[in-house]
This record gives sequence, C-alpha cells and structure tokens, in this order.
Amino acid sequence: MNKEELLSRLKVIVSNYTQNKEALDSINEDTDFLKDLKINSANLVDVVLDVEEEFGIEIDNLSMEKMLNVRAAIEIIETKLHEAGRE
Amino acid sequence: MRLAGNDIVDLQLAAKESNWMRKGYLQKICSEKEQMLIEESKQPNQLVWLFWSMKEAAYKVHSRKTGQRIYAPASLETTIQTLNPGYSTGFVSVENCIYHTQSKLNGEMIHSLAAPKQSLLKEIEVIISFHQNGIYPDYACTNPHSVSHHGVYLALIYL
Repeated sequence: MNKEELLSRLKVIVSNYTQNKEALDSINEDTDFLKDLKINSANLVDVVLDVEEEFGIEIDNLSMEKMLNVRAAIEIIETKLHEAGRE
Repeated sequence: MRLAGNDIVDLQLAAKESNWMRKGYLQKICSEKEQMLIEESKQPNQLVWLFWSMKEAAYKVHSRKTGQRIYAPASLETTIQTLNPGYSTGFVSVENCIYHTQSKLNGEMIHSLAAPKQSLLKEIEVIISFHQNGIYPDYACTNPHSVSHHGVYLALIYL
C-alpha cells in the first residue's frame, strides 16, 4: 500500500471527526489532528480505533502516544502492516 | 513553578460525540483500575468523564512542565479521594509526578482543576461561562492561565 492510498483512507476516517473542512481538503503529512483538524481529544481515541479496524492492525498505547499528526499515523500504520507481513 | 490546568466536559455534547462504550475505547483511555471502578459504579457515565477531565487538566500542566506533547490518557493514573454530589477531589500521577485535582460536577458538566501543589488549587480564580450557540467571546486579552471549552461551556482560569 503506498502513502497516497494510506493517506486517502486515513482522510475518510478523520473526516468523521473534524468540522474543519478547509484543513481536511488540504490534508498532508504535516496536518496535526488536534491543532489543524480540531479533532477533540476524546475523539482521537475513535480515530485510533477506526484505524485499527480499517487496516486490521492493533495500535498499542505506546504507539498511540505519538499519533498526533498525519505523518506519525502513517508511520505507525506502515510499521504495523510491515510487522504483520502485509505491506 | 506556579502551573495549573483546567478542563471542562459538556456532558450533553460528550454523549453525542463520544461513545465510551465502544469496544476498546475505555482500554485506550483508562488504566485497569479505572476500568474496574467504572464497571462497578452506579454512575459510570459521570465517572468516565470525571476521570477524563482530571486526566486532561493534569496533562495540560504536565505537558507545560515537560514541554512534551504525547497522547497517552491511559498512562495518567487517577485517584479519587472524595466524591460528593457536585464536588470531587483527587490526584493524577504520571511519570513520577503528582497533580492534585478538584472537580465540580453536575448533570450538565464536569470541570476539573489540576496543579502540582494542593495549596495552589485554592488560589485559582475560575470563570465558567455558558454560550448557547457555542460561540465564545474573545478572552485572549484577559490573559487566562489555562483555557478549556467544550460545547456550550467556556472555562478560563487565572493565577
């Protein structure tokens, strides 16, 4: 799975929790979930759970610590898919 | 160092936006001890959001102190010392740091304050205002120490 595909699937997930349509339209690796997309911190858990379901991976709490922006989320998804042998 | 943090939860909005009964949700935000207390509680909804607001208020102080931004709600361990209708006190521990908390709660909202020293909690001036349309006034010029808003509530604290 390439980065573009990962990003587009991630975009669908976060679109359920953001009110900021402009930031969503220009989503890129530097986009911050809280500061840019204004996702509330209680909904960030939903993003993590949705990512787990969408990609069939498990995100441990240590990985979740870093999941504050798109770049970190993509890195974590790539690592977990790699660990599962499904790149 | 005089540091404090605050957090407000609009319970009506929380009920709409967040389903904490979703599978896996509590495991990501609560320690095992907290999950057990929620399971045993007669008012689990109130307890979930009380824990959450204590954690958020403490996290705001901790991240200011350490300069680190991480998302690890389950690693902030809460302890409730008193829980009366309307009022609660306790503390949150994270990475060998302790933050004392005091919370105000009713059926509509939960507001928590956190500070490294208990004595500091009494010195904090708290202003909670209600904004039906969710549009908050410009508060920046009042230079609040910590800001929290959720739904119809704006909570500002001054030190």
